[in-house]
Amino acid sequence: MALDEEALMWVEKYRPRNLNEVVDLRDIVESLKAFLRTPRTMPHLLLAGIPGTGKTTVALCIARELFGQNWKTFTLELNASDERGIDTVRDRIKDFSRYSRAGFGNVPFALIILDESDQMTGPAQTALRRIMETSSRTCRFILICNQSGKIIEPIQSRCAIFRFSKLDKKAMVDQLECIAKKEKITLSPEAAERIVEYSEGDLRHAINALQTASVFRDGVVDEKTVLQVVGEASPKQVQVMLNKALNGDFIEARKVMYELIGAYGFSGSEIVRQMQRELLKVSYLSAEQKAELTNIIGEYDFRLTQGANSDIQLSALLAQFAKVGKSKGESN
Amino acid sequence: MKDDFLWVEKYRPKKIAEVVGNEEAKATFVEWLKNKRHTKKAVLLYGPPGVGKTALVNAASNEFGFRIIEMNASDTRTEKAINKVAGPATSFVALDKFSTESKGNLLFLDEVDGIAGNEDRGGVSAIVKIVEESRVPVIMAANDPDLEKLRPLKKVCALIRFQQVRIPLIIAMLRRICIMQHVEAEFEALERIAQNSRGDVRSAINDLQSLAEEKRVLTLQDTMMLSSRNRDISMYETLKGFFSAKSLAEASTLLSRSSVDYDDLLLSVSDNLPLRYTDSRELAEAYDLVSKADVFRGRIGTENWHLLKYFFNCLAQAAAVAPQSCKSFELISPPIRIITLFWTKGKRTALATICAKIGARCHVSRETAKHDFVPFVKIMLEKQKSNPINSWLKLELEEVDYLVKMGKF
Repeated sequence: MALDEEALMWVEKYRPRNLNEVVDLRDIVESLKAFLRTPRTMPHLLLAGIPGTGKTTVALCIARELFGQNWKTFTLELNASDERGIDTVRDRIKDFSRYSRAGFGNVPFALIILDESDQMTGPAQTALRRIMETSSRTCRFILICNQSGKIIEPIQSRCAIFRFSKLDKKAMVDQLECIAKKEKITLSPEAAERIVEYSEGDLRHAINALQTASVFRDGVVDEKTVLQVVGEASPKQVQVMLNKALNGDFIEARKVMYELIGAYGFSGSEIVRQMQRELLKVSYLSAEQKAELTNIIGEYDFRLTQGANSDIQLSALLAQFAKVGKSKGESN
Repeated sequence: MKDDFLWVEKYRPKKIAEVVGNEEAKATFVEWLKNKRHTKKAVLLYGPPGVGKTALVNAASNEFGFRIIEMNASDTRTEKAINKVAGPATSFVALDKFSTESKGNLLFLDEVDGIAGNEDRGGVSAIVKIVEESRVPVIMAANDPDLEKLRPLKKVCALIRFQQVRIPLIIAMLRRICIMQHVEAEFEALERIAQNSRGDVRSAINDLQSLAEEKRVLTLQDTMMLSSRNRDISMYETLKGFFSAKSLAEASTLLSRSSVDYDDLLLSVSDNLPLRYTDSRELAEAYDLVSKADVFRGRIGTENWHLLKYFFNCLAQAAAVAPQSCKSFELISPPIRIITLFWTKGKRTALATICAKIGARCHVSRETAKHDFVPFVKIMLEKQKSNPINSWLKLELEEVDYLVKMGKF
């Protein structure tokens, strides 16, 4: 790793550099290795799965295995959610496939990694499909997404699809302990369990939590520190907003919503997604009430995609919550 | 009683006395035309539409034997165009003076406030020039004399103000027309037409014709379909009316008359809704409808304007969720969102830059950086401000500072 200056975020520092180091993805790794033995025949790849399960890591490993130390020269990393519009994507891919002079050793193509490709709209994906066709002689694509269902079928049919499922708890604990050892910190087994539990199969979250916890008490991480970190790092404002709405205080809830949109630049769908997650943690609602509220969230999540102003949809959603909250208060 | 004529034309006043209302303005105008037109060459008649400005000018010139040369807003009013028409009319006065049956020309510029800045470049100054050079009287008419661009005109002419015509006068006039048209009208029906016209005689006559034309009898019932004329209503008026609407019909009428920007309207309605509906059940129901209106707004986009009626329908329903709970309140404006976004722009960009830097370092999108990294990085920096990760992430000192001080999501 002479070329990389040493990474200080542990998720980067301990990101596997080759496929053998990848945790808990034996089947996927084996099939990929088969492709890499004869790169000429490697198809486009579609890596799908929940966050923090190693999709980007695997893609970067493939790049390294194909091109060795010079991988950056032959790899274009794009993030669909950062690039505005398919035109930018198209231009960057075009430029890249023109200048990369496709080919390194026995690899007759350059690699394009398109992360979060399910964030692209249908028309953008159609354009992407065309780009994939026209540049197929010189480029291979690795598309990464959370939900393969959001990728249009013509693209899916052009790719070999790999599904990444939630990481195994044991493997995650092992990984955390391995990092703790290298970083010379003391990680109690309960603490490791806790981190893994809260991370819900997302290794990136687990490692970030571990690193954060390690600064609390000079490298001693116990259960208490973990709870503290998890508590502080979880989305507070959404929780606050949710509770205010559920207590029937619509106006205060809306204030928090405007702060989330205004000061932090959260989009409507992000807030809705977090609301849904936070709702499940609310202790004073019954399972039936949560189910009912989840239905309402679903409806407004859909309206968000149809409507023109996300803050109106969110306000309306909060008003529905306030109603349920009020009636709950009255029935008690 | 089908007529070939518009009644407003048929019953247009031939004499000054037949012009309804505005007695004071009429007297001032006649006095000017008779005696003062040589000392003060121009007058500007101003007031709301349909109160008899044009009618008075026509009636007066008819009575005194002036020939009217007219231009109005439909003509282009560049300097060139004005000079082309008005130039000859104002300078050939000398020849006309010898003619016995005519007192000469009158230049009448109607709707001078319709002069648009760009299209009629030089329009106003050309009029001023004409007034200054003209040897015939110049009469101008306008609805709104306060417009900045007409200021030069005010200096060179006398102002005569017209007001809305009083309701009883309009009723009396409608009655006369009914008699001549052989329509038997209930007093209440005429009263409603007159009230609805808001002092606009022309629109009152038009309404009467549309309601009574093919009838012998006009009842109050017949006038129920009457709605107020399209006048531009401001956002404030729209909201005021929206939040005090007593019924779905009232809200729909109001919305269809309003010409405010739909997105502004939607946001303002959303902002004020919790003040209108303090009961959480009503609020939830109303918000659900506003949300549906927003969905239609989204579907309309920039081209599907035929969906506008559904947008209005949802919005009107939202106004009429609980008419019984209606009470007045102080409106919030301008929209909260606009204020919030304005004050927080700096914060947002600061955070976005930080996320971009994290994203570049850790192979994630800015969004993911915000969710999965910022909360942790913030805590680490809080605990150890000099933590080396900030230099690795290439964060500037101010950015570290920002993260530490930033409120939690």
